[in-house]
Amino acid sequence: MGAMSIHFLLTKLARGIITLLLAMTFVFFVLRASGDPAQIMLADDASPAAMEAFREHWGLDRSYLEQYFAYLGSVIRGDFGVSFRDGRPALEVIAERIPATLQLGAAALLLTLVIGIPAGVFAALRRGSWVDHLTMTGTIFGHSIPNFFLGILLILLFSMTLRWLPSSGTGTIWHLLMPAVTLGTASAATIARFTRSSMLDILNKPFMRTAKAKGITPKNRVLRHALPNAAIPVVTVVGMRIGGLIGGAVTIETVFAWPGIGLLLVNAVSQRDLAVVQGVILLIALTMVIVNLIVDLTYGWLDPRIEVHNKRKATA
Amino acid sequence: MTSVDFSEGLRERRRYRFLTRIWKSRPSLVIGLCIFWLVFVVFTALFAQAIAPFGYAEQSLLERLNPPAFMGGSSKYWLGSDNLGRDVLSRVLYAMRTSILIAVMATIIGATVGTVLGIVAAHFRGWVDDVIMVMVDFQASMPFLIVALAVLAFFGNNFVLLVILIGLFGWDGYARIARGLVLSTNGQGYAHAIRTLGVHPAKVYWRHVVPNMMGVILVQVTLNFPEIILLETSLSFLGLGVQPPATSLGLLLGEGRNYLATAWWIGVPAGVVIFLTTLSVSLLGDWIRDKLDPNLQDKSE
Repeated sequence: MGAMSIHFLLTKLARGIITLLLAMTFVFFVLRASGDPAQIMLADDASPAAMEAFREHWGLDRSYLEQYFAYLGSVIRGDFGVSFRDGRPALEVIAERIPATLQLGAAALLLTLVIGIPAGVFAALRRGSWVDHLTMTGTIFGHSIPNFFLGILLILLFSMTLRWLPSSGTGTIWHLLMPAVTLGTASAATIARFTRSSMLDILNKPFMRTAKAKGITPKNRVLRHALPNAAIPVVTVVGMRIGGLIGGAVTIETVFAWPGIGLLLVNAVSQRDLAVVQGVILLIALTMVIVNLIVDLTYGWLDPRIEVHNKRKATA
Repeated sequence: MTSVDFSEGLRERRRYRFLTRIWKSRPSLVIGLCIFWLVFVVFTALFAQAIAPFGYAEQSLLERLNPPAFMGGSSKYWLGSDNLGRDVLSRVLYAMRTSILIAVMATIIGATVGTVLGIVAAHFRGWVDDVIMVMVDFQASMPFLIVALAVLAFFGNNFVLLVILIGLFGWDGYARIARGLVLSTNGQGYAHAIRTLGVHPAKVYWRHVVPNMMGVILVQVTLNFPEIILLETSLSFLGLGVQPPATSLGLLLGEGRNYLATAWWIGVPAGVVIFLTTLSVSLLGDWIRDKLDPNLQDKSE
């Protein structure tokens, strides 16, 4: 058991490291393929001396292989280059935006779980009823509406017409409300759908009938027996949705002028501040790797059988 | 009897089975409306010039920010006019053309690349399979909007790059499906039999395996297409996709954002069109999936 857990962990860790390496290679490749990095990364009016210093710093006079390893080395040390907008290290520029995005992301994720999971559970328990139909219709709408359009509609309604909520900026919980709802809607819809189908699967299992026969109350049957078993596919989807939340944050932060990573990225892309762009990309890759690792570990914790299965698949 | 005759016979029976199954089932009112809307969208995309009352860039600075006709505005502008006096309706119609064109091309690129790579992975197995699957995992784990933004930042924006980039979104889904299906068909008797007759593997895949996949791929298209529309409109909304003077539904909504307080009609119609289109494709996809997989239907009912 212990050996298997370590094997499982190491496989997942290796996967994560490969993903990170791929992300770094991708950025390196794209950066080199798009022209002379010295010219692109520095401002147009950079002096020849600065260009030369930059080339030397990144080892641009050496072979591509050497450059590649030099690049990996500096990225791993956290050196993403200098943002040409304000001359500070890109990492510093990015770091000060992280709290805002974390706040928005956490609020959206919370909404996703608090709305998505109960909605899915109730729809499954009352299958075919109006609750079920309403939830399912809601999920299709929630999934299809572009998040930036939803944001605009909310601004029109709550900021422009009713004048209840601020349309942009940050500071109070009222500022957070609309962006978090907008960002969480699509994810909540996805989670509700998956929770419903996962619950339906479990509710038909023989052990649920056994539980009923044993006289366990409906509440306990759902909370103690059905939900933990139905949670496994839902955890995967939650993990996948975090990628969606990060992608969504880019547009949502722009709609609501929320000063996070997403808004920073959009501005950096329009101004071609490439040091910041590559920093954000690699940071998001790192986040995704960590999220996936957590999801995999949660699996093993929710269902110890999964690692056995996984091992078999790996050796087959 | 030659091997060609044998494979012809098989193909006829298998290729379009999924279409007959869809054709025979009766759509409900909602599905009918979805189909109607999508037909309308495609029609508009094809004939925008003929339908639109004005050109998409035709300005009339004296007629700026006219409200829509139903709100008491001039009857010349059904959906009102924007900050440069351009007709919103005409701009939406032309934007539908751009957005649908990009989405269709991108879907074709993604489905083709993904399916081919999936077949290649399943055919060669070994390290080829490993490399392709690592790429699939990578693609699936990175939020694609971010990757797309990075590439646009590095290479600058142009239409061809944009289409290819959006096309590469979602290839991993097709690859995974194609790989799984090929692995399972390769184990089946008929594929083995045809191959034993000396037919080239590529021909086996093209004539027998791919037609068998079409139903599942079609379902994947209905899942992928709305996401592609959302990706393009998001990029354009951020001002980093389709560039003016061309229009796209996302770009219109982005432009309208600056006039929310005074002239909401500039952006909202484009948003409604995006929403209705993604909604219709999703509903239609759900319905097709039910029709194609009777097992699934039994389970959910």
